Amino acid sequence: MRFAFVLGEIASGMRRNLVMVVSVVLVTFISLTFVGAAGLLQLQINQMKGYWYDRVQVAVFLCVENSTSESCASGPVTDEQRSAIEAKLNSPELSTYVDTVEYESQDQALVHFREQLANSPIVEAVTADQLPESFRVGLVDPEKYEVISEAFSSEPGVDIVSDQREYLEEIFGYINIASLVALGIAVVMSVGAILLVATTIRLSAFSRRRETGIMRLVGASKAIIQLPFVLEGVIAAILGAAIASGTLWAVLRYGGEWLSREYPQMGFISTQELLLVVPALFLLGALLAGASSLLTLRRYLKV
Amino acid sequence: MIRFEQVTKVYDHKSKPALDSVSLDVDRDEFVFLVGASGSGKSTFIRLVLKEDRATRGAVYVAGQNVANIPSWRVPRLRRGIGVVFQDFRLLPNKSVFANVAFAMQVIGKSRAVIRETVPEVLKTVGLEGKNNRMPHELSGGEQQRVAIARAIVNKPGILLADEPTGNLDPTTSMGIMKVLDKINQNGTTVVMATHDDDIVNTMRKRVVELRDGSVVRDDAQGIYIGETTTTAAAG
Repeated sequence: MRFAFVLGEIASGMRRNLVMVVSVVLVTFISLTFVGAAGLLQLQINQMKGYWYDRVQVAVFLCVENSTSESCASGPVTDEQRSAIEAKLNSPELSTYVDTVEYESQDQALVHFREQLANSPIVEAVTADQLPESFRVGLVDPEKYEVISEAFSSEPGVDIVSDQREYLEEIFGYINIASLVALGIAVVMSVGAILLVATTIRLSAFSRRRETGIMRLVGASKAIIQLPFVLEGVIAAILGAAIASGTLWAVLRYGGEWLSREYPQMGFISTQELLLVVPALFLLGALLAGASSLLTLRRYLKV
Repeated sequence: MIRFEQVTKVYDHKSKPALDSVSLDVDRDEFVFLVGASGSGKSTFIRLVLKEDRATRGAVYVAGQNVANIPSWRVPRLRRGIGVVFQDFRLLPNKSVFANVAFAMQVIGKSRAVIRETVPEVLKTVGLEGKNNRMPHELSGGEQQRVAIARAIVNKPGILLADEPTGNLDPTTSMGIMKVLDKINQNGTTVVMATHDDDIVNTMRKRVVELRDGSVVRDDAQGIYIGETTTTAAAG
């Protein structure tokens, strides 16, 4: 009986206040979409870290004809220097840090270079002897890059030691900024949503002041009087969360598909990741609306 | 049933108190007229009984309980034991007669079966049989007030407070309302009615408590009431 009564009150409240309810739905939809986007971008960073950190290596580039670093003063790397470097990489002192060592010759470097820049006109102008040969070193712990860098940067025949993670960090930096921007918009929109819920509930309480006045007089409990209003806000917010989830799903499904086609070697998050984000959006929407309605009712609905 | 001990209520510290150390006892099953001009403190009395306001000094007891000691979450229970009727009826305009009365039962969680059984009984008590499906705007003022009374007593409160219930009604209709209130009182409900309608008070011959500027100036067992203007004329 009470349940049916509360439901009836919610329905009539939302009907009377339809325009405001629709605006609450829209504003929570936008704000939660940005919250979700920020969350998904963070998940994307995690996914890429997991995928790439296993694959990136430290590259020890060897001297070529026109290398400018000090250790290359004696010209291109000699066979002895090369074997000395390889021996040092495989030495017992470094074996706790080094996982794998692969040699990449100038010809192999050219093949990789052509693969990576397949569409660029620069490819035609580059020849194998312009590209350095290198040792590709996989580390046991990718954070221990410094050890290799210190051991080899002044080694004769070594041009530069470069950590490929640096490039990734740069990409992650951009994604992080995008996710912060999304979060910033989300915060501003959420404040808007909270204020709008408060206004909506206030209007709703005002338009039903006769009913609530009588409920007070005949001794209805605080919960029964306030619940329809709180649920009105919460339901509107949950509708907004549902639309936001649908939007994010569509973006991941179709946008993600496109991205995976364009950049097949990158790992992109899929709609599976939504399983983490969607419940959070619903919870956040319901909490924001619920708290905002309760606070408003404390001021505008005397019980 | 209602007991005021030296109750003072000050709304605004700069003005005079609305009630000034009022002591009053209303017994179970009594019918009491609370009379006095506007601003004499009648409505404040009613608000204090309902715990809508807190007494500045003194104690208000309702059904043996000091209302100051009732925690806010128990106030609804206090109010379930008190029915209230106002001058302006306060019906829900978009609900039928039946639904208006049923509303008071729904919101305290009564079952549909109980509501279907009780509401027609109460409507009969107030003389509205057969008008279940009328809307408030289709009713006369007297009939609307009867609906309001039905709503006030449908949960069988021990006390019925009526704040100028005949203030908007003509004398003949008012007498009809008084008969209903008297019947409710006969059935064992304590009735406190605030009014300044001297005709009604003089016809009913019940206990009369007169307030003037927040103080009890008269308490007669079977009193009469002579309105403010006549009193001054008689005194002069």
